[in-house]
Parts: sequence; C-alpha cells; structure tokens
Amino acid sequence: MKALIIDDEDLARAVVRQHLAAHPDVTVVAECANGFEALKAAAQYEPDLIFLDIQMPKLDGFEVLELLEAEGRRPAVIFVTAYDQHALRAFEAHAVDYLLKPFPRERFDAALAKTRALLAAKEAPLVAPPAAAELAATARQGRPLERIVVKDGPKITVVHLDRLDWVQAQDDYVLLRTEGRNLLKQQTLASLETQLDAGRFIRIHRSFILNLDRLVRVEQDGKEHREAVLRDGARLPVSRAGYQRLRELWEES
Amino acid sequence: MHPLLASRARLGSYLLGWLPIAALLAGMARTQGWTWAEAGALSLPLCLLGAFLFLSAWTLCRALPLGQGTEGLANRGAAWGTAALLMGGLWSGLAWLLARGLALLPALNGLPIKVRTALPVITGLGILLYLASVALSYLLLAQARTLEAERRGAELQLLAQESELKALRAQLNPHFLFNSLNSISALTAVDPARAQEMCVLLSEFLRRSLGLGERRLVTLGEELELARAYLAIEQIRFGSRLQLAWHIAPAAEPALLPTLLLQPLVENAIKHGIATLTEGGVLTVDAAVTEGHVVLSVDNPVDPDAPPPVGLGLGLRQVRQRLLGRFGSRARFESSLRDGHHHALLVFPLETS
Repeated sequence: MKALIIDDEDLARAVVRQHLAAHPDVTVVAECANGFEALKAAAQYEPDLIFLDIQMPKLDGFEVLELLEAEGRRPAVIFVTAYDQHALRAFEAHAVDYLLKPFPRERFDAALAKTRALLAAKEAPLVAPPAAAELAATARQGRPLERIVVKDGPKITVVHLDRLDWVQAQDDYVLLRTEGRNLLKQQTLASLETQLDAGRFIRIHRSFILNLDRLVRVEQDGKEHREAVLRDGARLPVSRAGYQRLRELWEES
Repeated sequence: MHPLLASRARLGSYLLGWLPIAALLAGMARTQGWTWAEAGALSLPLCLLGAFLFLSAWTLCRALPLGQGTEGLANRGAAWGTAALLMGGLWSGLAWLLARGLALLPALNGLPIKVRTALPVITGLGILLYLASVALSYLLLAQARTLEAERRGAELQLLAQESELKALRAQLNPHFLFNSLNSISALTAVDPARAQEMCVLLSEFLRRSLGLGERRLVTLGEELELARAYLAIEQIRFGSRLQLAWHIAPAAEPALLPTLLLQPLVENAIKHGIATLTEGGVLTVDAAVTEGHVVLSVDNPVDPDAPPPVGLGLGLRQVRQRLLGRFGSRARFESSLRDGHHHALLVFPLETS
C-alpha cells in the first residue's frame, strides 16, 4: 500500500511515519508540507492512502481532497488533525476516519485496519465515499464557504469570495467571474448555492448567483424583464423569483 | 430622604428660589393696603414654612410614579388635586396662626383682620405652589432615575469587562495545545531531550498565563516573558518557518498595561501570518519608549493571496477596548495591512508601579 503524509509541520509528519514503521505493508512514497506538493506527489505516485492534515497554508485538507477528486483520484483518506473534534464526529457516518492529535498507537492501528478493509472492498463499495465538498461543509458546521479552489488547466486558483463577482451555471459546470477572469469548475450551481452565505450571494436567476456587494441597481424594461446592473457596468438577467429574493433582502435590512 | 434635604447647597438654592415668591406675596399684600412691616413680617416666615411643607409632594410623587402612557392619570390627578387642596388649606391655616402670633406685637395688631380677608388668595396660591412642587418632584425623580441608570450601566460595563477578562484567561487556544502535545509525542521517540524541553516550555507557558490571568495589570516585561515562552514552543512546531526578531528597550519593560494584551497579537501573528505561509517568515516584536510613551508593535508577513480581513477581528477589538479602557485617549491602537505585512501598534503612557 502506497501512502502520502501531508502536513505542514515536520514533527506531525514524523509521528505518522513512526507509527507506520510497525506496518511494513505500507510504504511512504512521499511527505508533503503543503497542498501543492501533495497534488504533485499524488499525480506522480498515485497513492492508495493519504494522511491529511486539515489546517495548512494555501490549501486546506478539504481543498486538497477536492482537487484530487477533480483529477479523478480518490485515495483512502485518514484526516490527522487538531481540528475541533465535534466538527469531525460527523465523519464517522461517512466512513472517513480521522485521528485527533495527539493520538495513541491503538487508535492509529485501528484507523489503518479500517482503511485496509475499505481498500479491499473498493471493487464493490457498499457506499460511495462522500464528495470532498460535502465533507468540508460538514466540518464547517453550518458556517458558509470562504473560498473556492479551481483547477484551471495545470494551475490552481483560490478564489476568495469577496473577489467573486457572480457565478453562472453552464451544464455540469459553474463559471466563476472574478477580477475580470472567467474560471470553470465542475460543480452544479445548486450545490454551490447551498454552501454560500445566503446574505451575500443571491440566486437572481435560474442560471446566476450574484455577489450582492457588486449590485448597483435593478433596471426594468418591459413588463417582466429585469436586469441587474453591476459596479463594473456588466448586466445580468434577473428573474421574477430572483427579484422577489432581492426585495426580501432589502426589506429585511 | 428628600434629595433637596440631602445637600446643603441644594437646600440653599431651593430656599433662595422661594425669595421671589415671598416678594410676590408681599407685593400683593402692599396693593391691598398692608404696611411694609405687615407684608414682610407675614410673607417671609410663611414662605419658609411653605418651603418645607410643600416638600411633602416628593413622598406623594414617589408613591405615584409617572407611567409610560396616560393610564391611571385620572387617579393620580385626583390624588394631586386632593393633596393640593389639603396643603393649600393647611398653609392658609398656618398664615392665620402666624398672624395671630404676630398680632402680639403692637405694630402688627391689625394683621389678623387683613389676613382673614386674604385667606382665599393665600389658599389659592398654596394650591398652585403645591402643584408646582409636584412638578419639581417628578423632575427630580426623573433625574435620579437617569443617574441610577447611568450608574448601573457603568457597573454593567465593568462587569462585562471583568467577565471578558475571565473569558480571556480561559481562552487557552486548544488548537495550539493539541498541536504542541502532538509535537511532544513526535519528539519522544526521535529526540527525548527536545521532548523534555518542550514539556518544560509548555508548562512554563501555562503557568505564566494562568498567573497573569489572575491580575488586571502586569508589567510589559512579564507580558513579554509569556510571549517568549509561547513563541519558543511555536518555533519547535514550525521549525525554520518561524524566525523571531526581538527589539526590546529595557526602559519599556517596567511599564504597566492591562493583562494579556500582547498575547492575542502574537497568537494572531502565528495563526493568520506564519502558519498561512509555506515558507514562513520573520515575526518581529518591538518595544521602545519615546516621550513618556511605550510604543509596542508586532509585525509579521501574511499570505498575499488572502484578501485583507474586513475590519478588526474580535481579538483585536478586545485588545483595543481594553487598552483604551485603561488609558483612554492617551493610548492608541492601530492594525494595518501593507506590503504583505500585518502590523499591530500599541502606544500607551509609560506608567510604573
């Protein structure tokens, strides 16, 4: 079994490595100090298992997992983290294991045993592993998303939500408009909508979500045809339901 | 006790306020053909008696506080009216007795007859004065209530600050603790001596922060010791990613400041600065003294790709509040993000114990 250890702290990686010494069937193919290294190593070694920290610079653990997914990789994952245990307890329902730092040897061995069983059953999985975005949402415990990672060819772009102007649905993809650029990400508009802060991002149309901060005014021409005028002069269609949502927000504030 | 009786100055000005009323009474008497002696001899003592008699309105007003609406206004009106009639009658009765007493003096022996004809006027004036006293009492009651509310507000604020401090003491960052323990767990196998060193550092940090949490004011020197203990641990965790630069003027160390003001700043510098950078960077702590003020700053690089945070975070807001709570306008707190660096600046008067 090929394994990757991904953690920004040397000592945290060392603990996992020490514990793995007792499991000769597991080979550590690489150790990575950040998400970018992890993606590179995953492409190079195609690991069966990754030990993944959650809080890391640039890309957090969930984002690394999401990007791996986008590349069609889905190694078994054991989260190793000092993250809030309440947030992670829900993972048990998803058959995803996690180790809370610091952890005892028995706990480590148990997690590894579970992973072996999971990998053995991979040919005929009983339950599909949850999408990374879903895990991340679980861990956020209802808090809205703060940034979106997009794989743009070989490049990875992290879009902070205050830099996101609007989102447009394009079949199975969403087009993200940020700082004058368009980025495509494989996700449905509906699933993205549930993760965004409903007070900041409004579904103004079947195909559009708008960052409310960018809205200047809504213009009406014709009986039921409305357009949102944005700060940069761009115009987006506003449906009747979308207009209703905007009005509700205005009336609340 | 009546608030006017509570302070000599207030009582004095209240009695002075009765002088024009006495003058008015005397003037009215003069127009009825009274001599100056008669008018003065009656009006002055009568007004003095009235001054104290009408203070009784206070008790009535306190028993019948003004509500928000007009509810029960009729009942209260009836009570004021009845009391005013009684007091007006009582006052004119006193005037009559006073006149009888003064009539013992030969120059004033015509007073009782004159007073008898003036009794309705005195009663009417008494009623009006009593009603005026009712109005004054309500005014004083409202003022007392406002003062009370202000006092209670200040008390609450103090309580809130206390509880905030308690919360700060309890706020040992769990993420930091668990990560540190994990580092120790790693070191026990590969480098037992370092593991031991880190246990000692962690204990020192915990002991210091518990100790500081007990106090409201500490010296900057003590606060710096806590930061050093904390950063020594983080340095083991982050390795070469965390470099430290200390520029501490010895003259700044005895300066007193509210407890745990520096600690949130260095914790932020790690959490939102060094930890977000794959290459890490230099964390600088500066303390200098200029013109009787301590200038304390914490500087660290941040991830340039992260958007600048909106406003101050809760931690920084608390730092500012507590600094200004202690020193008022003599202190200053700034937090700025420029050229990929976060810079927190505290300026406060150099005060030592």
